[in-house]
Parts: sequence; structure tokens; C-alpha cells
Amino acid sequence: MSQATPQMRDFSKSLIAYETMENKSSEIKIPTACRVSEKLRPHLATLMGNVGFRALLLRALALANPEVAWLRSVQVTADGSLEGFDEIETQVNPDEIFEGCVVLAAHLLGLLVALIGEGLTLRLVREAWPKLSLNHLHFGKENKR
Amino acid sequence: MKKKSDAAKRKLPKKVVSHPAKVRIRKIPTGVRGLDDILGGGIPEFSFNIIAGAPGCGKTTLAHQIVFANATAQKPALYFTVLGEPALKMLRYQQQYTFFDEAKLGKAIRFINLSEALMNQDLNAVLEEIIKQVTAAQPGFVVVDSFRTMVRSTKSGGATELEMQSFIQHLAQFLTSWEATSFLVGEYDAVEMRDNPVFTISDGLVWLSQVVESNSVVRKMQIIKLRGAASVPGLHTIRISDDGLQTFSRTLRLAAKRINPMRRRRLSMGVPELDKMMGGGILEGDSILVAGPSGVGKSVLATHFIAEGTRQGEAGILAVFEERPKGYLDRAGSFGLNLKRPLENGKLEVLYDRPVDLSVDETMQELLDAIERVGAKRLVIDSLVGFEMALAPGYREDFRESLYRLIRALTGAGLTVLSTVEVEDTFTGLPLSHHLMSFLTDDIIRMRYVEIDGEMRKVLLIAKMRRSNHSKDIREYVITDKGVVVISPRSMDYNGLTTGIPTRTGSRQPQEEEAAPEPKAKK
Repeated sequence: MSQATPQMRDFSKSLIAYETMENKSSEIKIPTACRVSEKLRPHLATLMGNVGFRALLLRALALANPEVAWLRSVQVTADGSLEGFDEIETQVNPDEIFEGCVVLAAHLLGLLVALIGEGLTLRLVREAWPKLSLNHLHFGKENKR
Repeated sequence: MKKKSDAAKRKLPKKVVSHPAKVRIRKIPTGVRGLDDILGGGIPEFSFNIIAGAPGCGKTTLAHQIVFANATAQKPALYFTVLGEPALKMLRYQQQYTFFDEAKLGKAIRFINLSEALMNQDLNAVLEEIIKQVTAAQPGFVVVDSFRTMVRSTKSGGATELEMQSFIQHLAQFLTSWEATSFLVGEYDAVEMRDNPVFTISDGLVWLSQVVESNSVVRKMQIIKLRGAASVPGLHTIRISDDGLQTFSRTLRLAAKRINPMRRRRLSMGVPELDKMMGGGILEGDSILVAGPSGVGKSVLATHFIAEGTRQGEAGILAVFEERPKGYLDRAGSFGLNLKRPLENGKLEVLYDRPVDLSVDETMQELLDAIERVGAKRLVIDSLVGFEMALAPGYREDFRESLYRLIRALTGAGLTVLSTVEVEDTFTGLPLSHHLMSFLTDDIIRMRYVEIDGEMRKVLLIAKMRRSNHSKDIREYVITDKGVVVISPRSMDYNGLTTGIPTRTGSRQPQEEEAAPEPKAKK
């Protein structure tokens, strides 16, 4: 069952907004909006290995595909990076890209919440964005023991 | 024998030599209830340990419990996962335990996946990665889970035995040099213990096992070796609950309890005539067995014993295995024995264990905890047969031995223990206890039915009182609204009362129809 609740999407929007503000220019060929997974990758790969992270991201992508058509052109590499954005940025308008990336991030975080719970997911998010204040952020769904 | 030389005989003045202090090995608490006692105080600091056993024994849970109990941001734990349970699933399941503290993740406990270094490279790459991470984090604790899969994968990849031994040697030396207490978690079979370098090099070897017997699972722990600590030998019961692992030392932490050399008082059984038969009552610190068939009044006598104790201000524990506590307390009330008040005042605790796969050691631990809680002086176990039947079949083998240790230690510490046991009456003899439990006891009261003048009556006798003289009389008793009442003086008119079918030897006295000692059904 999808964990990408409206609250999770709001949370993802906040993360993306923060990430966009922090990294306006970057050489990474991924739209800023889709860098949430890239930012989480080293932390999750340490925990579960590249193979584990790739499996998780593939699942998030599969869940997001029915909602966001352009994500079908995106692939996950062996190390868990996203690729295939070159043509997308010329063919899809920025708002749609932003929305698609929100959906993808929401599914990725939703999967984490489903597997390890809200508490540990927030902890991972804090590790990836240590300066981000999470006081006002929540997933909007109780998933505690 | 050589004679000592004169020089040797001469007493030399003692030199005051200051010896350098020996290294003091700090024992780290495990956070696992009962385990520190088994380990002789805890895990020796900086030791290199193996937690081994078959799948499902609780190896990972044990490792988690130890690191969650000890890791801090200053002395963090590095938890290396290899090809075993994926870390994500590990976190998913382990957070269900109460010891899991998510606040510790990240700074105090870090999970690091080594699978790719192992799959894509070799043992040296794995060692280098561990060295890199340990050097950076300077952890107090390191866990490699599962170490066994690492060994398997390298073996299939062609690592020689010498390379493997060298890897383990380097790892052990490195982790000890970096002052880390480490644990390698692995699935091993008992036969693999021989000729396995990892077992030789390790300082500690904790072996977990589970045995399936008659639909029950019995989990056990054995400390096969532990350098620098005096661990308790033998197999110890473990239980995995919401709180994680709990261990039950086979010595039940009782080894340290000293025999109480006090001058022992006589304690009233709560039945005056019975006290007289016992030379004034039961000796404090004795273990007494009340044996007899079903319905003969064993539980009533046990109720007298515990109620008399609480009446005199002695706290007690009532361990009931066959009846529900409410029924027990209500019946006591019907005999005028108020157990509810001491229960409310904390002078009495009733332990009630339904017949489900109990382990003998955990039940005994429960008893010990209750005894400590209320400061009990008297304990009733009603009944030993019910207690044994409530155990998982795999634990029953240990029952007599564990019970012996428990009763010996408790009575040694001054507690007076009354146990009941059901004995089937035969009409040819007087068995005292069919469970060979009489060796557990100092004193035995035997209750039985006898057929007299067309009635099934009840008699009791004191079969044994260690270190004390006692009445040898066989006395009739009844159970009235006052409980057990010993009624008549020793009967001289019958032989063979102990068989249950006595023969009259005295002359039958002409007698009027007398009221039966117990109420009969009305016509």
C-alpha cells in the first residue's frame, strides 16, 4: 500500500524546497527537485549497501510511475543514482518535474516509514539534512509502536 | 623428606615489596537480565567474543541488547552487517523490543553494511573497511553480523584457511588494540567448534541453542569459554520476550546466598494439634512436604500454614499451579483464614501460573523475585505435580534438579517452604511421594483416606522430621468450617491404618448411633 500520503508529499515538498535553496548550482545531472534520493543515498547505502538502496529506489520509482508519466524515462544505476534526465528537462515543464520529484521522494520516504517506522526515517532525514529544522515537519501518520 | 637447612629455618624479615598492580579487567554489564551473573559479572572489557548458534536462537537480539545497553555518543558501537539479515529488516524487527532506543541510532550506534566489499573484493578489503570505520569512529563496541556468512563467502571465493586465520588474527588484534569490546555473530553448528581458528582466537564464546521437544521449544545458553571471568558453567535457560533476551542462571543467583546459622524457631502450622505432633511446630528454615491423594486437604493445610505466618507478621508467597487464585482465596475465607488482607497489605503475594510452556528456571526466578519483593519468610508451592505439569516437556528433565537447588538455597537462607504433592493412595502400602521428591524435604506429613466402619475417613501422620523428634501417632482429622481439625487421640483399636483398610483389633464397644464427624448429605 502506498505510504505517499498528502502529508508525506508536503514533507517532500519542504525537503525539496530546502534542498533547492541550499544547492542552487550543481554539476549533478539531476534536477534539483529530484536530489532528495541522491542526498539520502550515502546514508542509506552505509546502512543497507548500494544494492539495498537501489532496490528501495526502484520500488519507489515503480510506485511513482503510474502518477508521473515522465518518470518512466528515468533509470536507477547500479550504485543507486538516478539517470535519464537529459531529455526530460527539455520536454517537460519545470512545474511537472517538480511535482514528479515530490511524488518520487514521497514514495521513497513512505517506503522507509513502512519498513522502519517514522522515528527512524526522520532520524535518517536529519542525518542527511543536519541543518534542516524538522520541528514543523511531520508525516501526518502515526506509525509508532 | 628433606630436612630444611638452618638458613631456610631462620626467619627472614619480611621485605616490603611493592608489586606493580595487576591489570583490572572491567566487566561490562550486558543489559540482559540474569546474564551478568552467568558471565561472572559481565563481558570483560576489550574482549573479542563470538555469539554462535543455530538460526532463531536470539543471537542478533543479544548483540543488539548489549550495544543498546552500552553504546554512547562518546563510546559508540559500530554494527557491521554482512550477508545476513539486511539492516533495514533488522531495524524493522529489533525496534519492536523495549530496549531499542532510536535516539541512540546515528551517534551512539551506527550500522554499516559490508556486503559489497565482501562480494566485490576480498577479505583484505573487508578488513580495510573495518579498520577505516573503527579508526574514524573509535568505538567502544564492534559487532560483525553475520560473521559466518563472511567466512562462507570467502571460502567459496577461494580464501585459504591460512588467509582466513590471518584475517581473524588481524581483526582480533586490531579491535583489541583499539580498545573495542567486540562480538562476531554467526550461525555455527556444534561440530564446527573443532579446528576452527575463530573459536581458538576468541576470548569468549556464547553458544545459543534451541531444542524442539513435544511441540515445545526450549532455548538454552552456554558460556563455553570466557577469558578473564569466572562464568557459570552449564546450560542456562533463555526466554525471548518483548524486553529481548532474559537468561536464567542454572544457579538461580543463589550460589552466593549463605546458609543461615541462626537458632531456629518453631513455626506454627496453624493447626494446634498438628503443632503438638511436630514437637511444637515446623523448624524455621525447613522444607516440608505435604503428600496425599486428591481432596484429602493438602491445600487446606497449606493455607493454614501461610495464613498463620501472615497472622504473625511473616510475609509469604503462595505459588498456585492447579487452582485459580480467587478460588484459593475464597476457600481460605470460608475456613475463617483471611488471606485477602495480607494480600492488600503487601504481606502476601499469590503467583499463579497457567499451564503453558514454562521453563523451570524462569518460574523459579519469578518465585525468587516475589520472595525478595515481599521479604517472604514462608513459601507454599501448591503443588509440585502442577508445577511440573505446567512446564514445557523439555524442561521437565531439569525439574527435580532445579527444585532441589531452589529449595536448598531458600531454606538455607531461612525461608520455610511447604510443598504439596499428590500421591495416589494404594491399599497395600503408604507411598510418601511418587516423584522421588522426598529427598527435597526435611519433613513429611502424609495424609490419606482410610475405610473405617463403612466410612471413608482421613488420617495424617508425621512421616519424617529431620533433626527433630515428632509424634509417631496416626491421627484422624476432619475438614470443617475451621479448616483442618485433628480430632481424636491415637486410635488403639485398629491395625493397618496406613494401608487404608485397617482391621479392628480392639473390641467393638457398644455404641449409640453417633454423629458423623463430618456433615453427611441429608436424606
